[in-house]
Amino acid sequence: MEVDIRAAGGVSVVEPKGRIDSVTAKAFGERVCELIRGGENRVVIDLANVAYMSSAGFRSLLIVGKTIEQTAGRLALCGVIGELKRLFDIGGFSQLFVICPTRAECIAKVGPAGPQ
Amino acid sequence: MKRPPDIVYGLEEAPPPVVTMLLGVQHVGLIAINLVYPLLVFRVAGAPADAVVDLIGSGMLVLAAATLLQARRVGPFGSGFMSPAVFTATYLGPSLVAAKVGGLPLVFGMTMFAGFLEAALAPLLNRLRPIFPPEISGLVIFMIGVSAAVAGLRLMLGGSAVPVTSAEWGVATITLATMMILSVWARGMARMLCALIGVAIGYVATGIVGTFDPAQSAAVGAAAWVDVPHVGRVSWSFDFGLAVPFAIAAVAAAMKALGVITICQRANDPEWVRPDMSSIRGGVLADGAASVLSGLAGAMGTNTASANVGLAAVTGVTSRRIAYAIALILVLLAFVPKVAAALASMPRSVMVATLLFAMSSVIVQGIQIMSSRLLDARRTLTIALSIVAGIAVDIFPAIAEATPIVGSSLVLATATALGLNLLFRLGVKKKVDLTIAGEVADPDTIEAFFARYGRAWGARPEVISRAIFGVQQLAETIFENCDPKGPLAIEATFDEFNLDVRVHYQGELLELPDRRPTDQEIRESEDGVRRLAGFLVRHNADRARATAARGRVTIHFHFDH
Repeated sequence: MEVDIRAAGGVSVVEPKGRIDSVTAKAFGERVCELIRGGENRVVIDLANVAYMSSAGFRSLLIVGKTIEQTAGRLALCGVIGELKRLFDIGGFSQLFVICPTRAECIAKVGPAGPQ
Repeated sequence: MKRPPDIVYGLEEAPPPVVTMLLGVQHVGLIAINLVYPLLVFRVAGAPADAVVDLIGSGMLVLAAATLLQARRVGPFGSGFMSPAVFTATYLGPSLVAAKVGGLPLVFGMTMFAGFLEAALAPLLNRLRPIFPPEISGLVIFMIGVSAAVAGLRLMLGGSAVPVTSAEWGVATITLATMMILSVWARGMARMLCALIGVAIGYVATGIVGTFDPAQSAAVGAAAWVDVPHVGRVSWSFDFGLAVPFAIAAVAAAMKALGVITICQRANDPEWVRPDMSSIRGGVLADGAASVLSGLAGAMGTNTASANVGLAAVTGVTSRRIAYAIALILVLLAFVPKVAAALASMPRSVMVATLLFAMSSVIVQGIQIMSSRLLDARRTLTIALSIVAGIAVDIFPAIAEATPIVGSSLVLATATALGLNLLFRLGVKKKVDLTIAGEVADPDTIEAFFARYGRAWGARPEVISRAIFGVQQLAETIFENCDPKGPLAIEATFDEFNLDVRVHYQGELLELPDRRPTDQEIRESEDGVRRLAGFLVRHNADRARATAARGRVTIHFHFDH
């Protein structure tokens, strides 16, 4: 799995590509948490290119969410569509995270200009 | 039954009388568009104008009776839903052939035959599904659209058609353009009644350019404003040579009724999971009975109307009382021969434009149904070769002339598809297995396995996706947490209604909890993640069960198909 991280509108946009499963989830979660602890606590995770996410992947998202909360930061997800959306719904994660239809809306929501 | 959130008046509810009648008028407006089919058949049969007026009048009575029968559930007949009857393009191709070969008596006789056949199919629908899978239903609907559009064009461009004047081209263009513009850019009532408004504008344009047929204009003038419908000037005949095309149309009508009634069930029940076959059987039985009645009374085959059911969903009113209002309005119209005469005088330019407009949605519906399943090489060949066979009959009419059994493009396409489907069913395994022998989950192999057999079975893509996730998540969790000794054995069995997947391994039993672990449990313990995995795989399937005997664990997923 590749993870692309770039800055946009005062926000760090994290774009994982591939599978977030028991093999890759831990490294993915740690990388995003390091980013947050390094001061980048306004984060958008774009899941549009995630082909599969298992329970281990959901765990890493929960850990990222908790880390963001501890630093009073903000997190939003986009690209939660199709099969992934179904899994978010089954697991009760759709209500747990801020999910926006597009990356731009996520950036507007968690960025410095977004609602306080 | 709960009322869905977007329904204002549900099946058992009573909208105010004014709303009921206005919606009834709107539905009848849609139903009236389909009168173009019997009009075309009557015209091809060379029926005189006054006879056509009578036949349209009795046709409206038949539609009223069929709409009531469908909504009321009398004995075994009827689905119980507001699902009006309309004359259908499904019977247009065979009826046109019958009109040419044996005139209207043959059309009426064969329509009764098809109605009886459709009614007889009602109890067998479930068993027909493997022989008539969705891609073939879609193909039949696609070919119904194509063949009806071509039949319309023949009125203007066919070898025996009177040459088209530039004024007629103008009227056809204005009519079609009006329908297209209203359908794409208008809103509300104008959009819903776009076809009817287009027909009205077509009539006005024909009046302006003066291309009405003088004989038919005289018939409109002579028709009474109010009169008792003359039912009875009808005779019937039967031709074995046309039994095959009408039988295929009857099967297609049964499939269409099944689909429309399923839409009704879904629109009325927010907790709908799968079709209620009892209501569908009654609906198809009533649909067949309506065609029998239609042939008896001197009209062509009818079918439940997808456009009206769509309109009910859009307006949020699925009340059964609307069906009663529709029936009442149709009966009243049958007593106004001038309306029937005006419809019977429909200029060919307006008729062709209406057919092309109506058929566009039929053709696309067919394409959507064909592509709703995973297609492997067998199914791809079945669809493609059948379409080519059907279109060949339209391009080279000599094929049908040389072999009358071929009948029409619809018949040859359907027969080709059914034949190839039966042939290609040979050698398709219903039970398949896979062994994962390594020490990791091997997700790519699991995905390739289900994708391959999903295509061979023609399974729904969403069901295969769920099976892939379930087995991948399960394999991952077993290798991580259940200490498996030896390989994972995966077996999958499929029929048209069920996909069952069993995963066997030696090791610890994986719990499939009904309650999701808390966020904290998931974050902070391996057991939390393991239970989340069990929870996800349990709720990913329609049913899931884990059993263990002598250290051998079996996890069974069931998916409704």
